[in-house]
Amino acid sequence: MTSRSTLLAVASRPLYWVLLAAALWILLRGHNEPGGGFVGGLVAVAASSLVAIARDTEAARRLLPLAPLPLAMLGVGLATLAGLLGGIGGAPFLTHLWSSWGLSTVVLFDVGVFLAVWGSLSGYVHALLADGGPASR
Amino acid sequence: MHPATTHDGDTGHASLWAALLPLAAFSALAWGLLHFPLPWRLELPWVPALGVSLAFRIDGLSAQMLALITGIGTLVFVYASGYLAHEARRGRLLGVLLLFMLAMMGAVSADNLIVLFLFWELTSLTSFLLVGFKHDELHARAAARQALLVTMGGGLALLGGFVLLARIAGTWSLSGVLGSGPALLADPRLPLAVGLVMIGAFTKSAQFPFHFWLPNAMSAPTPVSAYLHSATMVKLGIYLLARFDAAFDDFWLWESALIVVGTTTALWAAVLALRERDLKRILARTTVSALGTLTLLIGLSTPGAGLAVAAFLFAHALYKAPLFMVAGNIDHATGTRSIDHLMGLRRAMPWTATIAILAGLSMAGLPLSFGFVAKDVMIVAKAEAELFTLASFALVLVNAIAVAVAGVAAIRVFWGPPEAPRGRVREVPWTMLAPPLLIVLLGLEFELIPNLANPLLLAAAQSISPELGDVDLRASYDLSTLLSTSGVTVGFGLLLFVVWDRLHDLLHRQRWLDRYGPAAVYESLLHGLAGLAAWHTRRLQHGGLTGYLRLTLAALIAMGTIGWLLTQPAPQFDGRWAPQGWAWLVACMLMGVGAVAAVFLHDRLATLMASGLIGYGSALLFLFAGAPDLAFTQFMVETVLVVVAASLLPRFAVSAPARRRWRLRDAALAAAAGLACFVLLAQLAGQPADTQLADWFAASSLAEARGRNVVNVIIVDFRALDTLGEIAVVAFSLLAAMPLLAGLQRERQP
Repeated sequence: MTSRSTLLAVASRPLYWVLLAAALWILLRGHNEPGGGFVGGLVAVAASSLVAIARDTEAARRLLPLAPLPLAMLGVGLATLAGLLGGIGGAPFLTHLWSSWGLSTVVLFDVGVFLAVWGSLSGYVHALLADGGPASR
Repeated sequence: MHPATTHDGDTGHASLWAALLPLAAFSALAWGLLHFPLPWRLELPWVPALGVSLAFRIDGLSAQMLALITGIGTLVFVYASGYLAHEARRGRLLGVLLLFMLAMMGAVSADNLIVLFLFWELTSLTSFLLVGFKHDELHARAAARQALLVTMGGGLALLGGFVLLARIAGTWSLSGVLGSGPALLADPRLPLAVGLVMIGAFTKSAQFPFHFWLPNAMSAPTPVSAYLHSATMVKLGIYLLARFDAAFDDFWLWESALIVVGTTTALWAAVLALRERDLKRILARTTVSALGTLTLLIGLSTPGAGLAVAAFLFAHALYKAPLFMVAGNIDHATGTRSIDHLMGLRRAMPWTATIAILAGLSMAGLPLSFGFVAKDVMIVAKAEAELFTLASFALVLVNAIAVAVAGVAAIRVFWGPPEAPRGRVREVPWTMLAPPLLIVLLGLEFELIPNLANPLLLAAAQSISPELGDVDLRASYDLSTLLSTSGVTVGFGLLLFVVWDRLHDLLHRQRWLDRYGPAAVYESLLHGLAGLAAWHTRRLQHGGLTGYLRLTLAALIAMGTIGWLLTQPAPQFDGRWAPQGWAWLVACMLMGVGAVAAVFLHDRLATLMASGLIGYGSALLFLFAGAPDLAFTQFMVETVLVVVAASLLPRFAVSAPARRRWRLRDAALAAAAGLACFVLLAQLAGQPADTQLADWFAASSLAEARGRNVVNVIIVDFRALDTLGEIAVVAFSLLAAMPLLAGLQRERQP
């Protein structure tokens, strides 16, 4: 990008964290209210895209907890793990398990969905918006 | 594996161990045959729900095949250790060869159609790997692909035939199908089933018009040719025909097809043998010819035919495998297999010459060889069957050519003055002499002491022709008739041997044989297929996004139209369709404005924004229609899409704006697609809605999954497996797209 708005670039950092917090909130409330891992993941992607557009993709990538592909794979892995945990007692794969404090394999599964969406779509967005430079992983 | 670099033939003996496995199998078989009466059975459950079990049944025919597979297998492995002494990749070859042997053993002992089919296909696959072993040579790759396509195509037909047979007989068990006799013959589907099974067997055993792959498969190393393409794999089709013969013997299609195809193959391949100059290819043609003779013999319905099949099957393996090894030895020692360059080798290679003569005797059906016995039995069988004259004459010619080929392989290349010195030709090491010598001596022994072979052959013959009584192989010696018929063939054969070169030149000039044969048909089919794929890819996968969209929309319109034409229900415009309040009106207006603007605006950014309006409008609709989750997701998708696309727009070169005519056409297409969608939805609304599932989810969401948001509970709990698949697809799509995206970035680099 040749011309960037300084204002937006400066504002993007705090906005990123606000959007990410919103994404997490949407993820966690999803079980009872509108929301969930998929929408939450999309909001997180929006946050990453904002930084990528306002500053550059390198900055956006640095803000991710992991590189896009590992992040997406971690998500799929967590979701699979949630399924396996549920099957420990001999129950079918992906049977839900609830602990007494509301923690459950279902939440773990939703976190997996969140990470998979965030990682994969951010990977696409970053690669498409990148100015060149070494191929990203 | 270390590359063999020494020049002494003895280095390969390290791989002699590979012969131990077939040897062990052979010993076990022999021990079992001596101690336990046939048939042996073994059944293990596999897929009980489908009636498929790992069932094996070994009767006389299976035992004969197993004896060939393991016995010749042992010697082929010994031979291979000498032949491949300098081959760095011999470990791979021997490994695949072992796998092939196991597949063969499974195929001839399987008593379940599915199990038989699996082993059958495994032999095709391993054969592909073995034929293409010299994969750095173009013709070897082409030959391997041809062998695979022909035999696997036949395998597909075989599977179809098996499925039909299993449905007719009501069982997957092979012996069950064979035993269901009259019910089988009365079924109208039988001709199709039998035809498919025959196609499978004909491709495997290289019968006309599928015969062309076998000579090309000679690109394989010689141990492979000797084992797969003379003694075992090509006999698998014959085995299958023989196996089914007892059940189908009285079926008109079976009998006539086998006789016609067998005779054609035997004659045609024998004539084509005269066109070849390569020793291995000559032998391959006569192998096809012999397979044709076997097919013809199976087609005869007399009891003696079974005996003839069993005897000739055995005799052929016992002379053809050594002859292939002789060709391999000559190739190994001189570097050529062309009979034009080979003469007078008997001084340099006395042992190989001896083997060639002994095997040649058997091939020509002369006394002092097992081939003599087999020929005698065949003559009896043909006389019993009162074979029609044409086929009889054809077989005389076939046998005469066999005599001539035996002469070429055993006499022509070894006798006569030695060719101009071509360096020092040395006899090959013992590992390459002992196996063929042992096999021909075995043939000799069976002739002199038939008691050794009798029980096995009779057991095999009785599984082909159950009505065959106890026959002593020697009993059918009738010297006068035998000598008269043999005399004719041998004399004719000697004549052919003498004029071989002239016949060759005459046939070689017949170029039309190459242009119009089945091999040419195969080639043009292959080219046609590649052409069709290229044309279809150019048409459908052209890379123009607009074109893809047009096609997709056209398909949608077609679906809507067909759906409407087929059912023609009156669309139900009940209360659900009426605008409800201002919000609906605003949403619909947003979408309408967006759609119209997208058509008429010329600036790309503006077009993008306009299409974004449509997305937001529909999100608004969802929101007020009671689907907040959907609306939420739609908002987010639309936002990310528009923002990212907008920031990408300046990156792409601006192509000339589409012409007005095209824009109008696209607008019409889009409108039609919208209309089609509307029609489909209206029809859907006209159907009585089944709310059973929705009610259940609504009721169980909180009670069973502790969540009030039904949509999310469905996504992460009730239908979590679907979601897992979806996120895996999303994540793996990134993995697949990364090379493309990296290419995009490389392009942008200054």
